[in-house]
Amino acid sequence: MSNNPLLHGAHGERHLLLGNEAIVRGALEAGVHIVTCYPGTPSSEVPDTFHRIGGEGRYRLEYSVNEKVAMEVAAGAALGGALSLVTMKHVGLNVAADPLFTAVYTGLPGGLVVLTADDPGCHSSQNEQDNRYYARFAMLPCFEPASAQEAKDMTRAAFSLARQLEQPVLLRTTTRISHMRGPVDFDDLPAPQPKVDFRRDPARFVPVPAVARRRHVALDEIVARARQIAEQSPFNTVTEPSAPTDLGIIVSGVSRNYLADALASNDWTDRVRVLELGMTWPLPEEKICTFLNQCKRVLVLEEGEDLLEQDIRALAQKRGLTVVIDGKNDILTHQGEYSTTLVTRDLAQWLGVSCNVQEPRSAESDLPGRPPNLCPGCSHRAVYYTVRQVFGDDAYYSSDIGCYTLGLLPPLRTADFLVCMGSSISAGSGFARASEKPVIAFIGDSTFFHSGMTGLANAVFNQHNVLMVILDNGTTAMTGHQPNPGMLQDVLGGMSSHMDIETIVRGMGVTEVAKVRAFNIKALTKTLEEMKSKPGVRVLITEEPCVLYARRQLKKTSPQVAEVAQQGPEAMRCLEQLACPAFYRSGDNLAVDATLCTGCMVCLQVAPGAFKARKRQG
Amino acid sequence: MQNNQKRMRVYFTGVGGQGTLTATTLLARTALEAGLDVVAGEVHGMAQRGGVVESVMLLGGWRSPKLDLGEADVMLGFEPLETLRGLPYLKKGGAVFSSSDPMPPLSVSLGKADYPAMSRIEASVREVAGLCHFIPCRELGIQAGSVQSGNTVLLSAVCASGVLPFGVDALEAAIKKFLPAKLQEVNLHALELGKKALKG
Repeated sequence: MSNNPLLHGAHGERHLLLGNEAIVRGALEAGVHIVTCYPGTPSSEVPDTFHRIGGEGRYRLEYSVNEKVAMEVAAGAALGGALSLVTMKHVGLNVAADPLFTAVYTGLPGGLVVLTADDPGCHSSQNEQDNRYYARFAMLPCFEPASAQEAKDMTRAAFSLARQLEQPVLLRTTTRISHMRGPVDFDDLPAPQPKVDFRRDPARFVPVPAVARRRHVALDEIVARARQIAEQSPFNTVTEPSAPTDLGIIVSGVSRNYLADALASNDWTDRVRVLELGMTWPLPEEKICTFLNQCKRVLVLEEGEDLLEQDIRALAQKRGLTVVIDGKNDILTHQGEYSTTLVTRDLAQWLGVSCNVQEPRSAESDLPGRPPNLCPGCSHRAVYYTVRQVFGDDAYYSSDIGCYTLGLLPPLRTADFLVCMGSSISAGSGFARASEKPVIAFIGDSTFFHSGMTGLANAVFNQHNVLMVILDNGTTAMTGHQPNPGMLQDVLGGMSSHMDIETIVRGMGVTEVAKVRAFNIKALTKTLEEMKSKPGVRVLITEEPCVLYARRQLKKTSPQVAEVAQQGPEAMRCLEQLACPAFYRSGDNLAVDATLCTGCMVCLQVAPGAFKARKRQG
Repeated sequence: MQNNQKRMRVYFTGVGGQGTLTATTLLARTALEAGLDVVAGEVHGMAQRGGVVESVMLLGGWRSPKLDLGEADVMLGFEPLETLRGLPYLKKGGAVFSSSDPMPPLSVSLGKADYPAMSRIEASVREVAGLCHFIPCRELGIQAGSVQSGNTVLLSAVCASGVLPFGVDALEAAIKKFLPAKLQEVNLHALELGKKALKG
């Protein structure tokens, strides 16, 4: 029984919530039935919060195997009448784009909200793509919260609009919004919405060409209705200064915060009128034109691409307005994140005034770095070490997305290239064909189910020459240990079914298959040596639970730790080549930090005689 | 948001796994309970695998969940090397509360880089800070009953110093309200050690 305020907090209560938790409360206040997702930073706390609070029968959450599937299940649920939510990170929406672009043609009567959590600044992503493009591209109404309170309120509004228009609605956050904490005032928590009965209508829901052409016309009409709603939206507001001015700023997303702070701390609030956009697509064109008409110069502030700027320039041109429009420049580029300082600098230049931004102290040089690293006792380290021993620099290493991407760091150096989720096997296949070099593709269990299976099917079908190593740690480690089909049945519980990776691989027709414990260096070495000389598709599955997962969820810890038995070149070789974070140098000697050592005993196998096991104390 | 509260920015830095985000949330809840406008920001994901973890708390009506170099009025360093690395975030004359117990990064453990001397760290901090305290948080945490409660030692010290618009009583109330019952005794002990450390 959960007493979580998200599930039980009453109207009028105020709680400090993470932006992503506020989205959950907003969905509950809207009466959501079905939530699907594929985890990915910075979106993961949305499904994880739904998971953690249980729901008491209010909704059904599923961790889908990838974003496309999550989108399709959620779209199907919305066709079936449920108020549905699908969550993913920005690049996940690329995977899910295909169903999304057609779902907007048919419409979804139950209502679907699509959460995309973008990551400007690449805090934990491979690009800075701006998914506001998708609102324009697929023709989706779009909300962009800028506070925890708005994350809740706009989520609720997005659901309401999704059901009203029977169209998918985009809820777009960025890392700073998803991972901010702020006070949130709760509204009522009604029972889940009634479901909408599905009425068979193939002339709407089966988009063969003749249907799709008509639905495109219908979609344009819906977008026009959505534009009228945006004109009236309480999330699009104008703040008038107390003194007259002909300078205006149009701002959206997290930049609204930077602008408010820059204006307040420099006493510039009375110099400009401000149009803040929270419902950012379709654009409230009349509201914008009215605003433009009151200004001689307008500055458009938006982190990411210059989408608003281009639209507003086009709008002014169409309407014959002579207002000067400024936007991206050398200070405010489309790269990285905005900040209060950047906005302050730009505003000072734009207003023609000076500002009190101090030149910061320069960073200390020569400090030892602290890059993220594979954990002490991580099974990936054992596999990478062994692969490097067997293949060295003769093979090329095709990596994939997960903790194991960290294998790129020395001394393991087991990532030569990486494209996207699931690409290890397929990009590895292409690389091997072109280069005629040995290629090893590393992929985790969750990523294998996400989109590695299709790449493997292709490799078998097209007779590629690649060794795939499936690093099965029994969980989705990178994003916080979410369930995936590879997890053990007793961990998954009654709501999901375990799928056996080896059976899948063999079922796809791979004949060279082996499964080895990741901490068994001897067996790993022997298997890799055997597979090295063979052609075609080979799959090695290495099994060992993620060490954090084993400790926290499975409550498994080793009763032993390693210690150095014999100082000397062998101990030092292990330090150089395995580089376990539990090792440390003490003068000329090596030692093992017993508080960090997890007892994996890989070092005992790498350098026999140099290490020994002892009982863990305390 | 217009109000008469003093605006203040606090920067937190530490090492993944140390619990700095939990500490940030506890202090933000303390501020909210004290009736202050508060916004906090953190970054999850890749940064947590033993890397640097930074977070912020802004009080008094700021809207941005983020701060920039030279903007922090107060800095909480949960690890001394990270205190030094994060120093450019501190405003000239700001206050620093830092653990003095090092957690060497891998390059130092492997003997490929040197950990900066504590004397250098303290000297650099004093060049910028108007007030600074180095506290053996890890050691005091262990004394209180758990390594993690060392974070509470640091929070207690900053609350007791008077630089924040609320005191150590507010933190004590938040510990009692928000921490699970089984962690309270240790953290209340850590709170006392933090107060003493500031005086000593």
